[in-house]
Amino acid sequence: MGVVNFAHGELVMVGAYTVWFLHAQHNTPFLITVVLAIILVMMIGLLMERFLFRPNRDDPLGGLICSIGVLFILQVIATLVGGEGPSKQVPPPFAGTLILFDTLRIPYQRLFGIIVSIAALLVLWFFLTKTKLGWSLRAVAQDREAAALQGININRTSMIAIGVGAALAGLAGALMAPITNINPHMGHNVIITAFIVTIVGGVGSLSGAVMAAILYALFHTFVTAYFSGTIATISGLLIMVLVLIVKPTGIMGKAVSE
Amino acid sequence: MKNMLAKIIGIAALLAAVAVLPHFLKFYQQDFLIFLIINILVVVSYRLVTLTGEWSLIHAVMMGVGAYTSAMISKFYDISFWVSMPLAGVGAGLIAALLCFPLFRMTQFYFLIGSFAAGEAIRLCWIHFIRPFGGTGGISAIPSPELGSIDFLDPIPYHYLVMVVVTICLFILYRVEKSRIGLTLHAVHWKAPLAESVGVNTWRYRSLAFIIGSFFVGIAGALKVHYLGIVSPNQFGIGFMVFILIWVIVGGYKTFYGAILGAIVLSILDESLRELEELRPALYGAILIAAILYLPNGLESIPSKMREKFATPKEA
Amino acid sequence: MALLEVNNVTKRFGGLTALDQVSFSVNENEIHGLIGPNGAGKSTMFKNIAGFYSPTTGDILFSGQSITGKSPNRVASLGVVRTFQETTLFQELSVFQNVLVGCHLNARANVFSALLGLANSKNQSAERKTHKVLEFMGLSNRADQLGAELPLGSQRALAIAIALASEPRLLLMDEPFAGMNPEETQHMMDMTRKVRESGVTIVLVEHDMKAVMGLCENITVLNFGTLLAQGTPEEIRHNTKVIEAYLGGGSH
Repeated sequence: MGVVNFAHGELVMVGAYTVWFLHAQHNTPFLITVVLAIILVMMIGLLMERFLFRPNRDDPLGGLICSIGVLFILQVIATLVGGEGPSKQVPPPFAGTLILFDTLRIPYQRLFGIIVSIAALLVLWFFLTKTKLGWSLRAVAQDREAAALQGININRTSMIAIGVGAALAGLAGALMAPITNINPHMGHNVIITAFIVTIVGGVGSLSGAVMAAILYALFHTFVTAYFSGTIATISGLLIMVLVLIVKPTGIMGKAVSE
Repeated sequence: MKNMLAKIIGIAALLAAVAVLPHFLKFYQQDFLIFLIINILVVVSYRLVTLTGEWSLIHAVMMGVGAYTSAMISKFYDISFWVSMPLAGVGAGLIAALLCFPLFRMTQFYFLIGSFAAGEAIRLCWIHFIRPFGGTGGISAIPSPELGSIDFLDPIPYHYLVMVVVTICLFILYRVEKSRIGLTLHAVHWKAPLAESVGVNTWRYRSLAFIIGSFFVGIAGALKVHYLGIVSPNQFGIGFMVFILIWVIVGGYKTFYGAILGAIVLSILDESLRELEELRPALYGAILIAAILYLPNGLESIPSKMREKFATPKEA
Repeated sequence: MALLEVNNVTKRFGGLTALDQVSFSVNENEIHGLIGPNGAGKSTMFKNIAGFYSPTTGDILFSGQSITGKSPNRVASLGVVRTFQETTLFQELSVFQNVLVGCHLNARANVFSALLGLANSKNQSAERKTHKVLEFMGLSNRADQLGAELPLGSQRALAIAIALASEPRLLLMDEPFAGMNPEETQHMMDMTRKVRESGVTIVLVEHDMKAVMGLCENITVLNFGTLLAQGTPEEIRHNTKVIEAYLGGGSH
């Protein structure tokens, strides 16, 4: 949609905090909190689109600055809700570990996360490639004016795009909650990873992003194991700059017409 | 000519006022004033970078490059501040020059992301390479400037130091903008293809603005850390970069003084919100959003808006 | 030797062939017309010559030197400058400043004198040149007006002035007569002749047939990206293929 939402990491964070608050603090059943997280974050995304991105349609810089404003606000809200102090933990609702072939250990919680993520991606892929709504989204992303001339409602499409993106962010946060440390600044790493993956994979290409995400995750984990997490992120950023120089459209992106 | 004289008198009066001000302020306010003056240099140097229409996210890190350069060579190699400060600018300028090659192949959106990535990579290097950068703790016990018997740990002498350096830098930046180089920079911003058609190498001019802007913010970095006594990676992260953006955008980037206005107004606003420590970022975020939505041309547009409102309708 | 030689230039955008094996040449101090119905590829050809596009295949020689694929500012430094369709100016700058930017090539601005605020002989020669060009184009009395404030005829004159400030040998004019009434057209024609008389070779893309026929010694006609005809205005006027192309295609 031509919008860069710097607050995307914070949307993930809100998803995680929702699960922490409702499940760990108030004992709401886990799956229900996941659904609530999705809904809450989606609503935040829709609000952002309607009141911040839409007035700034012609000025992406303005939209970006507004998203930074939201970033701050969400971080402060998280601090108020959870208080400062050490990161929160959510005890995993799916306890136990799956042991394969005597050596491969996968905690059930992570398995759950993997399965749900794959399912969500498949649904997204189906939506973008097989449904009329999905096609209109891609049309607007390619050429807004042409799409408008075809009768596609830009405002509605943008709402859907942000809504879907936010919903997925909320889902990601909810899935991450039992596996990671929850704090108001956890969005920082998310947004860096998201940028790296999107640019390397190719802006506008879902399969590219998925491939890049998997590759990057493997890359990051291995480099972290041998060197350190920081070196891994630095390398990731350098690779991203390299891609931006050599092929700005990413591995799977379409070449930009002159 | 009259206009010119009025301007010069006005600026001289302003400078005199600022020079005298610290004597009436409490200690922590004197501190605030010093950092405010330094931030004015930061923001005006950023404006030069953005004159060509490219918004970078690496400016805060460039300030850090200058800061670390000056801190390290003055502390580890016993070099005087008066040498290390300009070298800080040179250091930042050199890194900027190197980065021009990868960064200015990209434009607009990609440049934004690319500059962010490059900056973050540099910052992470400060965190990771504990030798020589000191990691997250950074470097402390940075020596103060020395000049005869003046004690630069005291705010008032340092205030004058900062005023002199920043005024000189601002003067130079102003001259650059008004020169033909500045004119060409504007041309590259408004209609790059037209500029190219008469032989302007837009890449070169974008790079020039970036390097000069980085040079001056490097000096600002040196000024900052030789007062604080300590340099650390978190001083130059995305948090500070966002402040710079806010100051420039809220203040307005169409005129030279817009950004200065933004920095002053918002810094004072921020200071007065000190009590609400926890809520500060959120309030800043709210102000940011309000500024973008309701004052898209920045604070600098207020004088002309006022003029419009109060103009007597002559045309029937 | 012709000043400009376009040899078998083909330009493809993905599956679309905008120019197909087009060749023509322009002699020094000529006013050469490049015409054709809408979509014939005239502007595309200009962009290829001036360096904004690179030909997919083919070669472009200027004064015997290949300029194929060189960047726009490089091409400009060699003496080939284009004006743009739809009045491209620096709207926010004054007329004087607009032309001053054009002086870039011949009086390079110096970073250090800018940094230190020194007066500079290059600056002075640039300003003198700007005054000369403004006078030549009849814009001296508008020197302080903003680009955006000018009437149409003056805007077009300013666009040419900016180009002239860079002392081109070859000027590519892209539809300068668009939207003009007969009086403005006549004035612009006089201006164009004046520019040619000062020693500049001109290639003119234009739809206004009166201007084309009245100004050009030689005309190249394109249609659908290919060369349709070449010749003097008399020959072109009576060329049946050209007449068909225009009537069939329904141009202005």
